[in-house]
Amino acid sequence: MSKRIAVLVFPGTNSEEETLRLLRDCGGDAHLVHWSRAKLLPQFDAYVLPGGFAYEDRIRAGAIAAHDEMMDAVIDGAQAGKLVLGVCNGAQILLEAGLVPGTGTVRRPTAAFTRNGPVPHFICRHVWVKLAIEPKRSPITAGLKDGELIPAWAAHGEGRLAADEAHLAQIERGGHVAFVYAHRDGSVDASAIPNQSALGAAALVNAQGNVLAIMPHPERDGWAFNHPDRRGRAGILEPSGGALFFRSFVMGVNR
Amino acid sequence: MSRAIAIGLKIPDNAAYTTLTTLQRLGIDVARVERNDILIIDDAGEDALRRIERDERVFNPNKHRLTDLGVAQPRPGEVWIAEHHAPPGRYVGWRLLNRAGAPVDRETLERATTSLLCNPAIETARYQTREGTL
Repeated sequence: MSKRIAVLVFPGTNSEEETLRLLRDCGGDAHLVHWSRAKLLPQFDAYVLPGGFAYEDRIRAGAIAAHDEMMDAVIDGAQAGKLVLGVCNGAQILLEAGLVPGTGTVRRPTAAFTRNGPVPHFICRHVWVKLAIEPKRSPITAGLKDGELIPAWAAHGEGRLAADEAHLAQIERGGHVAFVYAHRDGSVDASAIPNQSALGAAALVNAQGNVLAIMPHPERDGWAFNHPDRRGRAGILEPSGGALFFRSFVMGVNR
Repeated sequence: MSRAIAIGLKIPDNAAYTTLTTLQRLGIDVARVERNDILIIDDAGEDALRRIERDERVFNPNKHRLTDLGVAQPRPGEVWIAEHHAPPGRYVGWRLLNRAGAPVDRETLERATTSLLCNPAIETARYQTREGTL
């Protein structure tokens, strides 16, 4: 029997439908759980925090949500080894909750995905992210190939990884950078980074490998009709590259 | 001489209310939260205030209340938060009051700051008597 995945909906979440659909298309037994039903969450085997603007980004992106009752269950689950994935605003929440990079204590963040650089503007553009860890370092990425390239859409005003030098060194040394921004051919340099994110990071993972926070949206390149190379109408519902990532997550949940 | 100007909402402040309920959920004894944009200006003259009131980018008389705090430092029960790369002299001020309507004590304020109001990875907190990353 496949394990159950909760897709969390906070007030202000806006990417839950495409996240749910892609998880299901990838074989996941996924269900939406709204903030008023937080008590249901312990029954689930894995958690996905989609993008949006939880609690309207009051105080800071992810700050209020990180202290929501829903996150009590997510933190307990993460500490028990359940898989947790945060995308965009979900990633910001996981950093505010201290689950990733996990170099501090819970709910005492040591890093943040914060205002883009060099100009603090919202960006919406197609990007490629490259797996920067050994695939088996995390059950979430274990279904990917070494150095796998995943297409995604960056759609954020606050996606730049920032931390003090000591924590950035810890993040790098500890192998917490799960994905880096890359060019389409897989090469990596500063010009591939859309937001001046430290270490070129597009995603972070905790030490145990069961919690991963990714800023760009793989689920928005989940079907061919999402992909910028699509021409014509043929095969528009075929899976696109973003589905590889979600398939790997679902495999990790059901392992 | 520098002075601080606080621009807050005179309509209900949903962000302040959410912050209040979150602090209470964290077990922090606070009964009211006030949130202001804080501007530090060097011009001490009355003209400076009038200029801010006429600047529609920062002040809408139907929505905002402008308070001249005088001296450029947080009040008791108040912490000013600035992003590390924010322009100088721009803060978000959080003022916490207890059930009696008085400013909370320093310990409560620091607890609220470290628990919720400030992410030290990207922000600095400034209290009445000192400035520094928490």
